[in-house]
Amino acid sequence: MSASTTTTPLLEVRDLTLRHNGRGGQTTIVQNVSFTLGRGEVLGIIGESGAGKSTIGNAVIGLVGKSFEQSFGTIRLDGVALETLSDRERRKLRGKTIASIFQDHTSSLDPLMTVGNQLGETISAIHPGLPRSEIRRRTIELLGWVGIADPAGRHDSYPHQLSGGQRQRVVIAIALAGSPSIIVADEPTSALDATVQKQILDILRNLVDTIGLSLILITHDMGVVAAIADKVVVMKDGEIVEQDATSTVLENPKELYTQQLLSAVPRLHLSPSAAHSQPEEPAPILVVENLSRSFGGGNIRGLLGKPSAKFALKNVSLRVPRGSVLGIVGESGSGKTTIGRILAGLEKGDSGKVTLDGRARDISRSGDEGLLGHVQMIFQDPALSLNPRMTVAETLRECLRFTARKEGPRNPDEITRMTDRMGLARTLLSRYPHQLSGGQKQRVCIARALLARPALIVADEPTSALDVSVQAEIVSLLKQTVTESGLSMVFISHDLAIVQGICDAVGIMKDGRMEDFGPSDFIFGRSENAYTRRLIDARPKIFTH
Amino acid sequence: MALLSVITGRLSQAFLLIFVMSLVGFIGIHSVGNPVYNVVNIETATPEEIRRATILLGLDQPVWRQYLVFVQNVATGTFGTSYIYHQPAFGLVLDKLSATFELALFAMLVATVLGLGLGVLAGTRPGSPLDRVIVTSSVYALSVPSFWLSMMLILVGAVMTGWFPPGGRGLTANLLGFDWSFLTSDGLRHLVLPVLALAIPNIALIARLARAGTVEVERMEFTRFCVAKGLSRRRILFHHTLPNISLPIVTIVGLQFGGMLAFAVVVESIFAWPGVGKLLIDSIQLLDRPVVMATLTFTAIAFVALNTLVDLVYVVLDPRVRIST
Repeated sequence: MSASTTTTPLLEVRDLTLRHNGRGGQTTIVQNVSFTLGRGEVLGIIGESGAGKSTIGNAVIGLVGKSFEQSFGTIRLDGVALETLSDRERRKLRGKTIASIFQDHTSSLDPLMTVGNQLGETISAIHPGLPRSEIRRRTIELLGWVGIADPAGRHDSYPHQLSGGQRQRVVIAIALAGSPSIIVADEPTSALDATVQKQILDILRNLVDTIGLSLILITHDMGVVAAIADKVVVMKDGEIVEQDATSTVLENPKELYTQQLLSAVPRLHLSPSAAHSQPEEPAPILVVENLSRSFGGGNIRGLLGKPSAKFALKNVSLRVPRGSVLGIVGESGSGKTTIGRILAGLEKGDSGKVTLDGRARDISRSGDEGLLGHVQMIFQDPALSLNPRMTVAETLRECLRFTARKEGPRNPDEITRMTDRMGLARTLLSRYPHQLSGGQKQRVCIARALLARPALIVADEPTSALDVSVQAEIVSLLKQTVTESGLSMVFISHDLAIVQGICDAVGIMKDGRMEDFGPSDFIFGRSENAYTRRLIDARPKIFTH
Repeated sequence: MALLSVITGRLSQAFLLIFVMSLVGFIGIHSVGNPVYNVVNIETATPEEIRRATILLGLDQPVWRQYLVFVQNVATGTFGTSYIYHQPAFGLVLDKLSATFELALFAMLVATVLGLGLGVLAGTRPGSPLDRVIVTSSVYALSVPSFWLSMMLILVGAVMTGWFPPGGRGLTANLLGFDWSFLTSDGLRHLVLPVLALAIPNIALIARLARAGTVEVERMEFTRFCVAKGLSRRRILFHHTLPNISLPIVTIVGLQFGGMLAFAVVVESIFAWPGVGKLLIDSIQLLDRPVVMATLTFTAIAFVALNTLVDLVYVVLDPRVRIST
């Protein structure tokens, strides 16, 4: 890979500085960034949100908006400075020389056009005048190449008919359509399940190795970098903190920030430990028996569609001992979120028995007889689960008022006591959600859940919308709260390592069924369930012990 | 199966709407005044003549019976006989329908094409001077009352320049049993001003919708991805942006079209356009109950039919509705 370093590198970014002209004046987004990318090389750019990594990617593709200004430095492709090219010349490079893969497979494809046509229009933009039949042939060939089964049949599918992994494969196929020399991939796998993530990374690495593609991989995930990058650039606040070969950065990080980033990555321990084992199981706070839920085809607008019932949950049973944490792990569509929503009384179950705090609850109804209000929920995205027009204090006070109806008047001091416990400064009480950081917002959500004095807390992916370092803080806060106040919790996550860190027992879900269930150290250490093993194997090796 | 249930749903919706409308219309007309005085000559009529006319029109019956008679007439499809014109009420509405229909259709065509064009033009350049001009003038176009707009159009287009006739349908030609103005050049010239009067507020409405939609779609990830794919602006606009903004516009076009068919009263009156709206107003003034009820019934049917049509267009345009997997 270092064979061609004596000649000009394929891409050279030198002293790049980008400023953004916004309403509040000029802000520097990227400062003095320099790196090179050789042929057949994978460069990882890693950093937390706001580090400026995506802006660099956009600058290379030529997608930064007019509000950005490249005030200093240069981006050279094969020795040609890109900033000297006209808009027209830059458009000719896009797709043909520099292609890109975006993060969100749900939104990077036009929902109204078949995937085949979206791929085909890329081909005809690059090779104008190609006959239709030839475009179709190439489209199907490309779809097959990125590992889509039955590519000819999938040609006329619309994006919503494909799974997330398939859509991201289509996006990769589109990127490959013009046989580019560089692909800029911005978080190409963050929206995907672990096992699919691994497949997509394998495809990318394979392309790099076989056709000599160069890849710029922008990510927040150390695991992704570890899996395929040759070199890593670590960024913070628009500047490069450290750059070196991947193995060097991962094994001997020089800078403190890199060390922090690495240590914040949750690790999976595969050797059985006795840390979480409990000598005897106390009475369960929650028992779920044979819970089922189906979503059925009553689609009024689907004039031509056939009604079809689909199981979201099928005979799921579980128990949570008082004062313990049950982790539910699964990929998207496994039904883990549906369980959480039924337990919180937000959705109804079709059949099954739920016993909470010694009382059988009616899962087909909400309200006092059901679960609503007795179980509190912590949602994935704190930005979406707080009312933007209410201050922190108002949000928490509302929660006290709501519970006062059942439990009589509550002491307003409870709010400050709770926020102190959550590590939130009292000055934050008068702020609105948009004035808080992601971590602070999630702390408010946890405080809100605890103030309601629930019998059980359901946390649905409470950390996945947060940066790695903040993730670690929130997990340890939850862990501390659980041990201090003897809380019972159901913790839903796709991340095995986080689950292992906090949960006493784990249930693995797949396609609406409970695939594997047991104490944490049994699941991670000795379980012989094939699917459990596959999930564990999908994690990058350097973060398992 | 699904299709059948949708159709049944729509039909029952239509019947409910017509039922409520007939009740409201019936009671309303009944409380306005006695239609007998519009039928007989008040100056010369003897009490005996008035009594005879009352019996002839069925107005001596109790109100509930009159309503039942009306329902019976609806069920047989005649809507009764006009008190004034002595013709079947529904036939009268049908006669006026072609005039209203061509007016509304041309107005909606003009509004859709110009509105989309201006909206997309503004939406692709948000914040630019052109954008500001289009947005600001759309506010004016929407807030100007239509009688004033119509009068200004007559003043400029007919009185001052003499380019277009100030009113009437002009020469018509027959097609499919109806009279149409657009088939003759004289008729076309008569169409211009009323079409503009109806279209201008709708151009503004559609332009605002299209602008908002364009700004939203241009910000979406797939548009950026199309740019990154190396597609031209033109291709992105016509093949990605336009289909994606068309859904809300189809809805509003359908609704506005229905509104024009039924309630283009002001424009039709000012331009002396013999359409359904004008018939409705005239009939209300003359307390010609059968014609009013026939017009209202037609309006209800038109709205339900247009709504169904809009939903069908949705199915064609949006694969997510068409294929639910």
